[in-house]
Amino acid sequence: MTKETEKFEPRIVGFLCNWCSYAGADLAGTSKLKIPSSLTPIRVMCSSRIDPVLVTTAFLHGADGVLIAGCHPGDCHYDKGNYYARRRFAVLKKVIEGLGLESDRLRLSWVSASEGQRFAEVINEFNEKIKKMGPNPIKVKTSL
Amino acid sequence: MNKPTGAVISAKSSTKKSIIDFLEKAMDKGVFDAVIVPMRVPAGDSFAYVLIKDKSLFKDAFPIPPVMFVQGAKAVSSVTRLGKGNMKIAALMRPCEIRATIELAKLGQTDLENMTLISMDCPGVLPTSDFLSDPEKGMKQFDEAAKNLDDKIMRPVCQICDKSSMMAGDLHIGTLGAKKDTFFVISNSQKGNDILDKLGISLKDNIDSWHAKVKNISEEKLKKRKKAHKDLKSEIGGLDNLLDAYNQCINCHNCMRVCPVCYCRLCYFDSDNVKHPSEDYLQMAESKGSIRFLPDTIFFQMGRMMHMSLSCVSCGACEDACPVSIPVAQIFSMISDETQGLFDYVSGRSLEEPLPLVAYKEEELHEMEDAND
Repeated sequence: MTKETEKFEPRIVGFLCNWCSYAGADLAGTSKLKIPSSLTPIRVMCSSRIDPVLVTTAFLHGADGVLIAGCHPGDCHYDKGNYYARRRFAVLKKVIEGLGLESDRLRLSWVSASEGQRFAEVINEFNEKIKKMGPNPIKVKTSL
Repeated sequence: MNKPTGAVISAKSSTKKSIIDFLEKAMDKGVFDAVIVPMRVPAGDSFAYVLIKDKSLFKDAFPIPPVMFVQGAKAVSSVTRLGKGNMKIAALMRPCEIRATIELAKLGQTDLENMTLISMDCPGVLPTSDFLSDPEKGMKQFDEAAKNLDDKIMRPVCQICDKSSMMAGDLHIGTLGAKKDTFFVISNSQKGNDILDKLGISLKDNIDSWHAKVKNISEEKLKKRKKAHKDLKSEIGGLDNLLDAYNQCINCHNCMRVCPVCYCRLCYFDSDNVKHPSEDYLQMAESKGSIRFLPDTIFFQMGRMMHMSLSCVSCGACEDACPVSIPVAQIFSMISDETQGLFDYVSGRSLEEPLPLVAYKEEELHEMEDAND
């Protein structure tokens, strides 16, 4: 069992905002910081564009973790998109939690365009946590 | 508005008759041009919302019918979705229908400017299938249960409804705590005040007995609601239980179609966004071993919770419409209490309160950020 967990490489879907977090991830790359290969980044124009249903799609199709990253509050390219994103994320998390599913597989973080280091920390930390949690049990549910 | 004020009206023959007289009088005086009210169909075995223009038809009007075939908010939004029109219309509905109407107004699906919303104390609604199996018996049972404030035969969500006398519209008709052969008319807005003024009804009577009785019932029901939600959560919570709970779903989407607040012309879950090429399904089948068809049943239910739980009024229409008896309304009401609680929001409580997803505070929900324990 331990061996299996050790081998387990998570699949993490990252919704990254175009103006901050995607650029932050880019900077982490050009700075040659270590980024886990488990991340599948999806660039969106704003974190508030992320309908909870998109995250649910990833979650129910077996993503082991979903990261939503946007500009820091107050720094949104569109002024207040990330405030709306935070509310949407809260609803998403509440629904998942309310149904007794693993809401810990979802994470919201703020990463600015200059924070390559922070992006690397966030994704590595999240990756380690998902590794500990093991594979998303939804993956093997055939009746889903 | 401060504490709502009201008037005691004495009922001549029956309360029902007097309420209809009240509406008729309002039409006579030109306060309303038309009224949306439930009416018993000629065959007597069901009820429908009608927009009455001809006063002589009031004799068949039936305030607070034993069943809810169509959620009233849908009736109101059908009339006013494309704009308010010139007519002043009153709608007499249950509190949850009024609340759904208010949610629809905030969602831009109805224009309430020329509309007067009148709610009534609601004893609950019989499940449609129970009523249809024997309408005559259903009528009698409902009358009896309403008289004794007994909710055991009502929809499961009605049994745990703590907002059955909630005032959200302009006027409210209260029967709880009223002396024999009387009822209360209570105003909840300036529009309500103006209307009663025109009708020569002054809001000077003491309605403390109504307030007290309502408080008493809602507190009791709220306790029941919390317990029911807790029990339900242990029953359906967790991946395996959840899959079991929705296992019988046939993907008909009836729950969405009858939902008063699900307003999209094209539901995301009916759109091409959730249809995939066969290679995708093959790939999913390959990784899982097999995949269920029709697909996306849980996805649809969860999606509806994410999209609509903030506006859910726990009316129970979805559960009544479910052909395979999944307790969708109970699960939905459990989730919506939690999501609405995040923002201290109560769906349909007031027209002024913004929908939670179009508002924000700079300092809030910090526990959602970077959560990593």
